[in-house]
Amino acid sequence: MSRPMGDSHKRFLQTLMSNGIVSSLQAKALHRHCCETHGAHYSPDRLDEFIDVINAQLQPMFMHIRKGMSEEDGLQYYALVNMAETDVTRMSSDYADNELELFRKTMDLIVDSENGTASSTDILNCADSLKSKKMKKKETEHVLNKFVQDKWLNEKQGEYTLSTRCIIEMEQYMRMIYQDLIKMCFVCHNVAFQSQICENTTCGIKMHLPCVARYFKGRSDPHCPSCNDFWTHEIPEIQQAQSQGSQSQSSSAVPAPNPTPSTSSTRRSRRS
Amino acid sequence: MENIKIWMAWWSPEKGWDPLVYAYLKLVSPDLRVPCLHVIIVNGKKFCKYGPCSKLTGIVESKMCCIIILLHSLKQLESGGAVIQIKTTITLYKRAVSLMSDSRRRVSRGSQEESASHANGMGGRSRPDRAADTGDEDDGAGPSGIHEEDDDPARRREIRSQYRDLINSVQQNREDMLNPANNKLIDVLEEANKLFANVRQAREAALDAQLLVLATDLGREKASQLHAEGSSFDPSAFAEHLLSFMGLNRLEEEEDDQDGCLYGYLPPDAWQRLSKRAEYCFRTAPSFHYMLGSFLAEPPPPRQRVERQRKAPSKEAKRMMPTQLKKMEESHQEATEKEVERILGCLQSYYSDDPQSPISYYEFVVDPASFSRTVENIFHTSFLIRDGLARIYLDDSKLPCIAPVEEGEVEPGGAAARHQCVISVSPASWREIIEAFEIKEALIPTPKTLTQEN
Amino acid sequence: MSQRKRVAAVGSQTKHFRRSQQVVLDEDDGDMSLTQPTSSQVQKARENFTPVQVDRKVAEVVQFILIKDQKKIPIRRADIAKHVIKEYKALYQDIMKRADRTFEQVFGLKLVEIDSKNHIYILVNKLQPVPGEPISMCPGNPKTGLLFVILSIIFMKGGTVKENVVWNTLKKLRVDVGEKHEDFGDVKKVIIDEFVRQKYLEYVRIPHTDPLEFEFRWGQRAEKEVSKMKVLEFIGELHNQEPQSWTQQYREATSVETSQR
Repeated sequence: MSRPMGDSHKRFLQTLMSNGIVSSLQAKALHRHCCETHGAHYSPDRLDEFIDVINAQLQPMFMHIRKGMSEEDGLQYYALVNMAETDVTRMSSDYADNELELFRKTMDLIVDSENGTASSTDILNCADSLKSKKMKKKETEHVLNKFVQDKWLNEKQGEYTLSTRCIIEMEQYMRMIYQDLIKMCFVCHNVAFQSQICENTTCGIKMHLPCVARYFKGRSDPHCPSCNDFWTHEIPEIQQAQSQGSQSQSSSAVPAPNPTPSTSSTRRSRRS
Repeated sequence: MENIKIWMAWWSPEKGWDPLVYAYLKLVSPDLRVPCLHVIIVNGKKFCKYGPCSKLTGIVESKMCCIIILLHSLKQLESGGAVIQIKTTITLYKRAVSLMSDSRRRVSRGSQEESASHANGMGGRSRPDRAADTGDEDDGAGPSGIHEEDDDPARRREIRSQYRDLINSVQQNREDMLNPANNKLIDVLEEANKLFANVRQAREAALDAQLLVLATDLGREKASQLHAEGSSFDPSAFAEHLLSFMGLNRLEEEEDDQDGCLYGYLPPDAWQRLSKRAEYCFRTAPSFHYMLGSFLAEPPPPRQRVERQRKAPSKEAKRMMPTQLKKMEESHQEATEKEVERILGCLQSYYSDDPQSPISYYEFVVDPASFSRTVENIFHTSFLIRDGLARIYLDDSKLPCIAPVEEGEVEPGGAAARHQCVISVSPASWREIIEAFEIKEALIPTPKTLTQEN
Repeated sequence: MSQRKRVAAVGSQTKHFRRSQQVVLDEDDGDMSLTQPTSSQVQKARENFTPVQVDRKVAEVVQFILIKDQKKIPIRRADIAKHVIKEYKALYQDIMKRADRTFEQVFGLKLVEIDSKNHIYILVNKLQPVPGEPISMCPGNPKTGLLFVILSIIFMKGGTVKENVVWNTLKKLRVDVGEKHEDFGDVKKVIIDEFVRQKYLEYVRIPHTDPLEFEFRWGQRAEKEVSKMKVLEFIGELHNQEPQSWTQQYREATSVETSQR
C-alpha cells in the first residue's frame, strides 16, 4: 500500500504546483531542501522514490508528477500534470473559451509544421476565424504572451513552439488527436516537434535537435540512422548542462536582437 | 484595538430594553471611563452626552425610548460575551421614533398625570386637538390619523429647513469639527437637541437621525485621534520606508520636494521584491494549473492533411520562403518594390544628413495631410525592415526610431534575428500621433504618379 | 490512455444518472443547509453507493476545489453541491470531511469556512515559506506586495481606513489609481474588484457622506490567511522599530495568534 506523505513531500508538491515544471537539477535541490526543512531522512539518489510516494497519493485526483525531456536542451524536467478530462476539469478558469481555441489552433499549426514551430503571423491570422469569439490582433498577442508566461508555449523571434511542460502533459492527448501527424524521435522514442527530418522522402525519420547533437557527436560524415542517406542538416552543438537554477527554456544562442516597437507603442508615445 | 462602532438599540413599553443593550449597560462599570457619545431619548426629550458612561446606569432605570451609543472600544464589550448586531440605519431610527410616538399616545390616553408632564416637556405648545390634516407630505411612518397637536405643516417645514442647515454646516466644516481644540461637535448636538424638542413626526425625526449619524461619525474620528496608544502610524512614513525597501533610486534628492513631486525611480522588479518578502506574512495555498482537460478534445479540421500533402514535396519550405515571397510580390505589384526603394532613398538621405541624431519612426512614416498615405508608408516601410535594409529600435524614452542598415551589415534574405510586430493605426490614433509629435509635414514626399493622378 | 477513456466514460454515465434523477433533484439548486439529511437518509445513501464511488466523489470534490481556487475566489458550498456532489447529497458531510483530510494529508492545505452563514470556503496553507528555498514555493505575484501595503495600512490604522488614505499612499509608491500600471494594469479594478471578490478586502460606503466616500477593511480571507504578527514584524523591520512599540496593534496580533492556536 502507499506510504503516507510527510511534510517534506507536501512542500515538494506545493512547489511544483506553484511552478508547474522544474528541471531535474532544481528537483534535486528541492528534494534536499524539503527533507532538511522538515527533518526527514534525505538520500540524494532516491528522488524518484520520493516522487513515487507523492504520485501514489495524487493518483485518485488524476494528478501526477511526470518526468520528460526538453526538446530545447535535452535535459530532464519534472512537471505536475493533470490526467483527467471531465466536466469538472473543464471548469478550469485560467483561460476563456476563445483563448483555449487559440491554443488548440496553435497546436494544430505546430503539429502540422515540419520543424515544430508556428509563426506569430500564422497564429494571428487564425485568430480571425475563431468560432467561439473573435480576437483582435492585440488581444491575440496578449494571450500568446500569457501562454508563454504560464509556460505552455515558448517563443523566440516570432516563432512559437510547444513548451516542455505542455509536451509532458499533452503528449498522450496529441498522439490520440493528431495520430499519424505525430512522429517519434528515432533516438529517444519520444514525440518530436522541434527536430530535424531525414531528407530522404521515403525515410523521413525525425530526431530532436539535442538527440541529433548527441547521436552525431564527433562524426564528420553523418548518415541517417534509419536509411543511411547522407544527413544534410547542420549538426547542432551539444548544449552544456545548465548550471544551477536557470529555468530558461530558451536555448537561443543569438544575442538579444534590437528591440522593436510593440503594438502598444502608438499609445505610449504621447509626449507629456 | 480602536474598533469604534455606532450602536443603536431601542426600548419599548412592551418589551423593555433590547437585552443586548441592557447587557452592555450592566457591563460598563463606572471606572472604565470609555469616552462615548450617548444619545438618550426620554419621553421625546433627547439628551446627548459625550464622555465616560459612568452615570448611565442610573438613567437606564428611568423611562427611555431610544438610545444610540457610540462606543470607543468594541473589544471591551466582546470580552464580556455580548455580541451586538450593529446597525446605523435611519429606518431603525424611524422605527424607534414611531414606537416612541405610540407609547406617547398611549401614555397621554392612559394617565392625566403623565399627559401633563408630557405637555410640559413640549414647551407649552399644546393646542386644542384638531383633525389630522391628512398630510400628503408625511411619509407615512407614523400611524395615520394621529391625534396630535403639532402637525402644522408650516412649522414642520421650518424645523426641517433648520435641520438641513445644521447638517450642511456640519458637512462643510468637517475639519473644524474634528479639531480636538474645540467643542463644536457638542454645540451642534445641543442645537439639535433644541430642535428636537419640537419634533413630532417621523419625517423630521429622520433628519435628526441623519444629523446624529453624521455627528457620531465625526465623534468616532475625533476619538480615534485622541486615543492613539503607543507609537503612531504615519502612512507617508510607511511609504518612504517601502520605497527604500523596494530599491528606490533617489536621483534628485536635493531638489525641492515640497510641491509633492515624486523624485527618483523604482527598479522594474520593485514590486516583485516587496512581494517576495511580503509572502512570509501570507499563508496562501498554491494553485494547480493545467492545460489537458480544460477543453473538449476535438480532432483538427480535415483540411490539414490535404495541406500537408500539398506541402510535402517542398521539404525546404523554410529556406525557400524569402524567394517565394519575393516572387509573389513581383507578380502582384511591381509598384510596391519601386515605392519601397524610393522610401529607402528618403531614409538614407535623411540619415546621411545627420547620422548622429535618431529619426523618429512616427515622424518618418506619418503624413499629416493624409491618413491613407500614412498607412501606405507604414506598409512599404515594413518591407525595408523585413529585408533587413532598415532597422527599428527604441530610444531612451522607449519611442521607436528607424535607421537604414549600412551596406556591409545587410544580411541576405533578412535572416538576422527577427522580431515580428503588428502595428495598428486608426484615424484617431493617427491624429493623436500628429499632435503628440507635432508633425507638420510628411518626410516621405507623395510619389509623383499619385500627384499627377490627383 | 485507457485511464483517460475511463474517466470520460464515467463522466457521461453520471450525466445520464443525473437526468434520470431530475425529478428528485430539481428543487435543489440552492443551499443544502436547509435540508439537512436525516440519519436514516445518510444510512441509506451509504448503502446505495459503493465505497469506490464515494472515493471518486471525494477526489472530484478535491479537484473541483483546486480548480475554483485557481483565481482565489472563495468557494460556495452550494456550488460544490450543485456541480460535484449532486446525487450524493445525503453524504455531503462525509465527503467534505474526507476532502478536507485529503487536503491536509496530501497537499498540506486546509479547507477553512470563512462564512458560516453562507457556507463559503477557502484553502489556506499549513506550510510556510522558509528562507533558502532553491525554487520559491510561492508563485511570486507582484500583487501580493500591493495587497500587503493596503492590509498594513488598514491594520495599523485600527481596522478601517478611508480609501483616500490608501490612494495617497499608493501614489507615493508610484502607483496611480487613475493610470495603467506596469505590474498591475488597472490598479483600481484589481483593488476594489479582484481583491474584494477574493475576500482579501472589504470596500464599503461610509454612510451619509456627500460626496460618496468609501473605506477599506480586512476581508474574511485576509483574516484567515494573513498573519497580523508577521505583518507587524515586517512593518517593524521597515521602520527599524520594535513591533511591541505599536501597543494596540501588538496586542491584537498576539490575541489573534493565541486564539488561532
